[in-house]
Amino acid sequence: MGVLEILKIGMGLSLQDRGRPGWRRFGVPPGGAMDAYAAAWANALLNNSPDAPVLELVLQGAQLKFLRDSWIALAGADPGCGIAAWTAEPVRAGRVLTFRGGRAGIWTYLAVPGGFAAERWMGSASVDARNGLGEVLRPGDRLSAVAVGPAFGTDRVARRLVPGKACRDYAHPPVLELLKGPQFERFDRAAAQLLAGATWTVSPRSDRTGFRLDGPALPVPPSIPSEPVLPGSFQIPGNGQPIVTMRDGPTVGGYAKIAIVTESGLDWLCQCQPGQQLRLQWAD
Amino acid sequence: MPNTEPVHQFETHPKPIRPYGERAFLLENLNWSKRRRMVRAVEREPLPQFEEAVMGHDNLLLIFRHPVPEALVVRWLEQLAGQEADGHVQARTVEVPVRYDGIDLEAVARETGLGVRGVIDLHVRGEYWVRTMGFAPGFPYLDGLDPRLHLDRRASPRDRIEPGSVAIGGPHAGIYPVASPGGWHLLGRTELRLFRPERARGECGQPSGIFALAPGDRVRFIEV
Repeated sequence: MGVLEILKIGMGLSLQDRGRPGWRRFGVPPGGAMDAYAAAWANALLNNSPDAPVLELVLQGAQLKFLRDSWIALAGADPGCGIAAWTAEPVRAGRVLTFRGGRAGIWTYLAVPGGFAAERWMGSASVDARNGLGEVLRPGDRLSAVAVGPAFGTDRVARRLVPGKACRDYAHPPVLELLKGPQFERFDRAAAQLLAGATWTVSPRSDRTGFRLDGPALPVPPSIPSEPVLPGSFQIPGNGQPIVTMRDGPTVGGYAKIAIVTESGLDWLCQCQPGQQLRLQWAD
Repeated sequence: MPNTEPVHQFETHPKPIRPYGERAFLLENLNWSKRRRMVRAVEREPLPQFEEAVMGHDNLLLIFRHPVPEALVVRWLEQLAGQEADGHVQARTVEVPVRYDGIDLEAVARETGLGVRGVIDLHVRGEYWVRTMGFAPGFPYLDGLDPRLHLDRRASPRDRIEPGSVAIGGPHAGIYPVASPGGWHLLGRTELRLFRPERARGECGQPSGIFALAPGDRVRFIEV
């Protein structure tokens, strides 16, 4: 029997794990949970394998009904569902969780014991709907957990919490660190200074393939022969406004890349809501 | 091997090598045979942390699972350098049937002054090869397009291009494998499925069952 039924999809909901690296040469994006840090904590709260598939919920609107008693873990954006993020606790059969979202963060991760049972496509359960990979979830679908209970004694445990210092408040991201991109030298010195000095606003035109940042226009060098692109890269197209490649983004690109945000910074950046402001600095 | 690409002399072993992010290195100015031989060499004797090699236009990205010191990567590549020379792989030729009824065919005919028939003939006559893949799963960047068909990409890209659309953009020919936005000129369409995601179920299928093409393949368009 399944552990939960999907009543509403809301703004988006998909199974994700650590993605499918190894297929980029054929143009397949690595994919995987957008905020790898939060997804890892959702699994860690239940002593799951770090590769266990979790549910990734976007902003708000999803509704899930539990079909049997189970432990669950939540991490990432504030879910607004009655159970706080960065917490694991038991839920009863019949309980309905409605995700109303919160003031900050985009992606919430929900884990169940052992992870969700899901078929792997190219070695990964991560859904890349645009490219037809993984199983797209619909209302009425039932999901199963790999294990009945978490891999720790639950006898006198009411809940488990992520240590306070490790919990993230996405309303207050740190200044994100940039490393030089492969075409750093082709940009004006002024472009590098502007990138680090300005305040950037996350554009509504942002999704699992890329986040656009609005701010001052950077001077643009000529485009380059296409070369492999990594998630977190700051590509600068003709209008001078950065496009940050995300996990489902194209594997090659022809825009010059002035920078790449650190992997830890990418987990923060992807949680910034449209309209949210962020600041950048060059590492070291 | 494909002779449409200018061969760069590449004397000193892979310089420049550039760190890209925390766990990847980009090797630049590599011609096709060098890229292919390096991919084979690094996969034959990978470092334990090695994740994958990705070919670009004239470059190669080596990705690791964890950060690796640059010096270690340089030493690894130097050790492999002596072994790269062996082996010559015969390129496959894949035939792609095309119905030339694309919505941009007439515009391309006008812009090039070649007429519809002339555009189709030049496109069919080309001897193409897959220089790199990317943009979308299974999308081939094909070299070998007649220079008379080199056109700038459309000023405003279309929001949706149907899978199987046969297109040209800049110096390349290509085929859209999945529905996606795109700015290339559409000449026709093919029934050949370049990407079969349903065959990707399971741990790791064989690439040959999932993708019709691989980097290095020769491609011939057949008018139907």
